[in-house]
Amino acid sequence: MLITKAFSVQPHASALPEVVWLPSQLTVDYTKCTGCRICELACSAKHEGLFQPSLARLKVIRYDDLGIDIPNVCGPCEEAPCVEVCPVYAMRRDPISKMVFLDHDKCILCKSCVGACVNGVIRLDTREMRIIKCDHCGGDPECAKVCPTGAIQYGPISSGTTFERHSKIASYLREIEHSAETQSSKGGS
Amino acid sequence: MATGGYTGRILRVQLDEGDFKVDKLPQEWIRDYIGGDGFAAKLLYEEVPAGCDPLSSHNKLIMSTGPITGTLWPMSGRTVFVSKAAQTGIWGESHVGGFIGPELKYAGYDMLVIEGQSDKPVYILIEDSNLQILDAGKFWGMKTDEVTAAIKREHADPDIQIAAVGPAGERKVRFSALIINNARAAGRTGMGAVLGAKNVKAIAIRGRGAVEVSDHEAFTELAKAAHMRVRTNPQAQEMGKWGTWILTAVKQEIGELPTYNHRTGVFPGWEKLSGDYIRPRYTVSDRACFGCSLACKKMNYVREGPFAGTLAEGPEYEGLMAFGSGLGIADYPTTLKANEICNQYGMDTISAGATIGFAFEAFENGLITTEDTGGLQLEWGDSQTVIQLLEMMGKREGFGDILAEGSRAAAERLGRGTEKYAIHVKGLEVSGQDGRTHRSIALGHATGARGADHLRSLVVVDQLGYEQVARERWGADKLPEIIDPYTEKHKAVAVVESENAYCIRDTLIVCWYSVSWPPIFWMQDFADMLPLATGEKSFGDVKNLTKIAERQVTLKRLFNAREGITRADDKLPKRFTHEPMPEGPGKGQTVDLEPMLDDYYRLRGWDLDTGLPTEKKIQSLSLGWTKKYASSH
Repeated sequence: MLITKAFSVQPHASALPEVVWLPSQLTVDYTKCTGCRICELACSAKHEGLFQPSLARLKVIRYDDLGIDIPNVCGPCEEAPCVEVCPVYAMRRDPISKMVFLDHDKCILCKSCVGACVNGVIRLDTREMRIIKCDHCGGDPECAKVCPTGAIQYGPISSGTTFERHSKIASYLREIEHSAETQSSKGGS
Repeated sequence: MATGGYTGRILRVQLDEGDFKVDKLPQEWIRDYIGGDGFAAKLLYEEVPAGCDPLSSHNKLIMSTGPITGTLWPMSGRTVFVSKAAQTGIWGESHVGGFIGPELKYAGYDMLVIEGQSDKPVYILIEDSNLQILDAGKFWGMKTDEVTAAIKREHADPDIQIAAVGPAGERKVRFSALIINNARAAGRTGMGAVLGAKNVKAIAIRGRGAVEVSDHEAFTELAKAAHMRVRTNPQAQEMGKWGTWILTAVKQEIGELPTYNHRTGVFPGWEKLSGDYIRPRYTVSDRACFGCSLACKKMNYVREGPFAGTLAEGPEYEGLMAFGSGLGIADYPTTLKANEICNQYGMDTISAGATIGFAFEAFENGLITTEDTGGLQLEWGDSQTVIQLLEMMGKREGFGDILAEGSRAAAERLGRGTEKYAIHVKGLEVSGQDGRTHRSIALGHATGARGADHLRSLVVVDQLGYEQVARERWGADKLPEIIDPYTEKHKAVAVVESENAYCIRDTLIVCWYSVSWPPIFWMQDFADMLPLATGEKSFGDVKNLTKIAERQVTLKRLFNAREGITRADDKLPKRFTHEPMPEGPGKGQTVDLEPMLDDYYRLRGWDLDTGLPTEKKIQSLSLGWTKKYASSH
């Protein structure tokens, strides 16, 4: 219930999620991605000091039957589900860059952010038991630098499409709320 | 002492016992063989007994990676499958791109060795340390794309990488392949049949671990710089645009586009098989293998005509040749459909196309008739017949059952002088080159360890006239002959040196493209990179790398020698040595193989009469241990 409140986009809702203007973001052109996963390699090389795509802060999904490759990167999120969902305010926005960062000292490893991320790029490292999240390399993202085709870019964007993307998860959560309400009205506690 | 790059573990799947075993990777293997092909050659020689039936439980299927597999080095996502070949009964190897090699490394293994034979259909699941042999009864009979999707669904994980056997491999079609990511094939020499004979439908791998190199920062910097060398190379850029289709026009121009079963080297309909024609009409997306800046793979869609609705990757140049010019078909959609069928059934496009070409030419000359073919009229340029024959081969139905044996065995079965149209070396069908108009490949085809091979020693420097590269590599004194494709002179030098460099390429393992063509990385680049990756200082010396390469070539030769191969088998189809090129720029050319062979053996330190490595050479390469395994166990 708490989660779904956070995503409610009804105009009368009092707790509207924070919407911010993003100075710079990672953007993706699906038509250019070849699925080479150099971005995953370079990301893990930079942040982990080894080559391990399972710990990369972004993820390319390959559809071999269709010939389509879709890179999933962190953002753009004018309203950030990971921030809204975090129960202990460990996930916050940097006041200047507006980039969402994780305060590891506060994180209680509840993994809510892992589930809430619309792009599926917040991950749990099960070996060191920590949440892994992209920080746009502090404003100079490695993935955009190594991408051979320019499919991943970094810079200022227009934000029209991202609201649409988030409305999907909002409607999904509304449905959960609706069914939860129906069930409880049927004779729950 | 190697400190990085390797996982240090060999995973063995023992199908007889239904068990797994993890061995330590011996340090001296690293020192002497680097990885990839080298490791596999050592293991195969030691463990697969001489004279064994490739389809018996004594044969093993080895999947091998190299020290930089799974790292940021350009095009380092390849892997190799090695076995005693189902098609030829000698050394068998097949390299493949895609993503499965790195996945094996991330799961924590440098090599995978599949031993014995299962008594019922199974598939092998390797998920880090979770190792299982699972029932594949419900998957048996599925095409490779179907079983790939089914296994991913079964385990609810789209990131599982799968090497699949299709219906052809199940039926032990001699040139059946292993298919990865729907359209990447470990195509040649019949790896599908080896796995099919073991009753294994698929190898499914998922790894979440890491590959750590010795000097991470220096290696990463060098790898990034290497990527930039690829991206700024004009030919590599073209390659990214057109893929290997770029070759059609080049080959037509020099008269080396195999046409009508290698009868001639020019094809009137070549334009419809060229990148310029295909890309704007059919290509929908560019795709890459792991860690590649080029993206030479193309996804294509056919909008109209008899093959409308086909959405598939490919084919490569070799497929265009095999199903296009080779069969007199000037129609791209036919080659795409044929390629798709080969991928779905799991068959090698080169051998499948060449075997159909063999049948076409034998039919044209009246040596086989509709009585043999079950009523089928075989005619050059007939798309529908080609598609029908491929399905029959994949299912081993009717006449397809004979063709499924490959051209050499099919000719033996049919008799009547049909063998003159079986264009093969040591049982492996000749790839899309022609020694008459590209002399060095004649030597490469004749001496290749797995038969008529275009990937182990193909020299592009003479084929495409890279004068500057030739001068740097081999010295000005060998010009102009060494870049003249119509003379035998100095060709052994170019072949031996290319073969050595490609050996190192195949131990790492990196792709053909960026090493062999366009010529970007060569021995010195590997010598600069390998110590950073592995911490093994001796890899920094080109002389030592050359010796490791020689060791690998000679070890493969000893493997073949154990199976009875000698100089007498290093020969070409008469078509190349006795039938002058009938037309085109190379009109009148034939191959004079023997002098090139003499040069080659001399440079390799092999005996001129027998073509076998001399005792002195064996000792100098520290291959004395092979004696212990010289005869059958």
